[in-house]
Amino acid sequence: MRFTIYQDSLQGGRANNEDRTTYCYSRDALLMVVADGMGGHHYGEIAAQIAIQTLADSFQREAQPMVVDPFRFLQRSMSNAHHAILDYTTLHHLKDSPRTTCVACLIQDNVAYWAHAGDSRLFLMRDGRIITQTRDHSRVRLLIEEGMITEAQAAEHPDRNKIYSCLGSPNPPEIEFSRKMPLEHGDILLLCSDGLWGVTSGEQMALALKGANLLQAIPTLMRQTEIKGGPHGDNLSVVAVHWEQSYIEDATSSISTQTMSQDEVTTKMEEFGRTPAYKSDLTEDEIEKAIEEIRMAIDKYNPKK
Amino acid sequence: MAQQANQPLPNGFKLEEYTIDRQLSLGGFSIVYLATDGEGIQVAIKEYLPNSLALRNDGDVKPVITAEHLGAFRYGMKCFFEEGRSLAKLSHPNVIRVLNFFRANDTVYMVMEYEHGRTLQEFIQKHQGHISERFIRGVFTRMLNGLREVHSHKLLHLDLKPSNIYLRGDNSPVLIDFGAARQTLATDQPILKPMYTPGFASPEHYGSRKDLGPWSDIYSVGASMYACLAGCAPLAADERLKKDNLGPAMIRWEGQYSDRLLEIIDWCLNLNHLYRPQSVFTLQKALVETITPPNPKDSNARWFGRIVDKFRKPTK
Repeated sequence: MRFTIYQDSLQGGRANNEDRTTYCYSRDALLMVVADGMGGHHYGEIAAQIAIQTLADSFQREAQPMVVDPFRFLQRSMSNAHHAILDYTTLHHLKDSPRTTCVACLIQDNVAYWAHAGDSRLFLMRDGRIITQTRDHSRVRLLIEEGMITEAQAAEHPDRNKIYSCLGSPNPPEIEFSRKMPLEHGDILLLCSDGLWGVTSGEQMALALKGANLLQAIPTLMRQTEIKGGPHGDNLSVVAVHWEQSYIEDATSSISTQTMSQDEVTTKMEEFGRTPAYKSDLTEDEIEKAIEEIRMAIDKYNPKK
Repeated sequence: MAQQANQPLPNGFKLEEYTIDRQLSLGGFSIVYLATDGEGIQVAIKEYLPNSLALRNDGDVKPVITAEHLGAFRYGMKCFFEEGRSLAKLSHPNVIRVLNFFRANDTVYMVMEYEHGRTLQEFIQKHQGHISERFIRGVFTRMLNGLREVHSHKLLHLDLKPSNIYLRGDNSPVLIDFGAARQTLATDQPILKPMYTPGFASPEHYGSRKDLGPWSDIYSVGASMYACLAGCAPLAADERLKKDNLGPAMIRWEGQYSDRLLEIIDWCLNLNHLYRPQSVFTLQKALVETITPPNPKDSNARWFGRIVDKFRKPTK
């Protein structure tokens, strides 16, 4: 796998940041999560923290190096997160349970799977356009779908922050799943809280990120949005990945999971059996070194019984 | 100039802690021996000995390497190291395991696991065109697990063919002979010619080779499956590029195998590499999908055909 990834979370105009983000990857799988703790309830940030930790923990446990069933993984870990929040509530005798939205995306074998509860969103962007996005579990989204109000009215609607599904509420969350989405080279997957998409629309983000390096474009986007959000702006958070085909050879700031677990795959990326990286004479020393290296690899990967 | 064949080490020869039992195969690049280690376990030992560069005369142990060939010999050795290095890192039940690597007799040796079994090539020859769909799916799905592991290490096999797919006693496949994986680097070294097998090599193997990729191994997988059905290798890709006379599996074996399997074979054998499955995973996914049985009305004819075939053979 090859990708460039960036995550960021800004406080906006709020007293504290109740958004949490995380990403983790194994050699063959990548997980990204954004959780937006609900400010109307107490300890929103705790709910968000529990959510991302639960997901990250299950990923670390199950991605060996791939998750067996991506949708079941998302389903199970999100509902585990939900129950972990409820357990926390009981344990600390809280009057009301803390709540959080959650959007999580798993990528493996070039296919993306995602799930969400609430109004944190995922956008899939290709060539500066939005290919698909999640549907918010919010009242205004339902009103728009019923044709009662327009998108523009929704942005001003008094109930625009009301959501009907989240983790931690006494009612079980409604978790919505994507379809299997095969990724193409250059695709951008962006997960964000409403603090970001509420101010800078998905379309605007897609345009801003088109062809840009995420490591520079995302911080700019975030800062501009924070300023635009004004003195009372919401927390804003993002995890975005720029997906690169494993077999395409040019990449600059990207992460290649091939090189990650120890020195297992060392630095042989360019050698896909094509690039002539030889052309030097082999000295006695080099022969000895090569043999030593191979023997070490044998001992390491094929321990003698 | 006719090339002389290299003489193998004699049976019973003591090579480090191993005793040579016999020669298993002789290639242009190496000799493979069956040997026994100190604990009595059988292993396969591959000796780096390129025919054109090093010559072992009858009765000698060390090969003769002339000064003019030393550079190329060492370069080839580097490729041999690459093979060892890549294989050593692969620990997968469907990829041959390297057990040891050492230097002796002015050359290098790679020790690999050895198990009783036969190659898919031998299996095909024995069952001439009567290999069941179940067998093909079973062997190839598992073999692809190994190939996936190979590709995930940024390595291409590049010489996949039925004789490089070894079947253990329980028919579980093992990928063997990764000699081509690195030799392909040698395209501008005329003396170590890139190696491929006509019929199984993809169109990208010929010519500039810059388009080689996972899809090239996938072509070879398709060709190997085709060979299971046909009982022999399909038409070579370079011939197909001139005039494509290869009958699509979909037409040749309609009704005898599921449409899906035949479709997959033709998919892999696309001359344009962009139209093939682009990754082993894609191919594997297609292979494990539910099997739609072939048209039942043909089953009688097939059964009858088989009986007739059986009677026909001896008269040939």
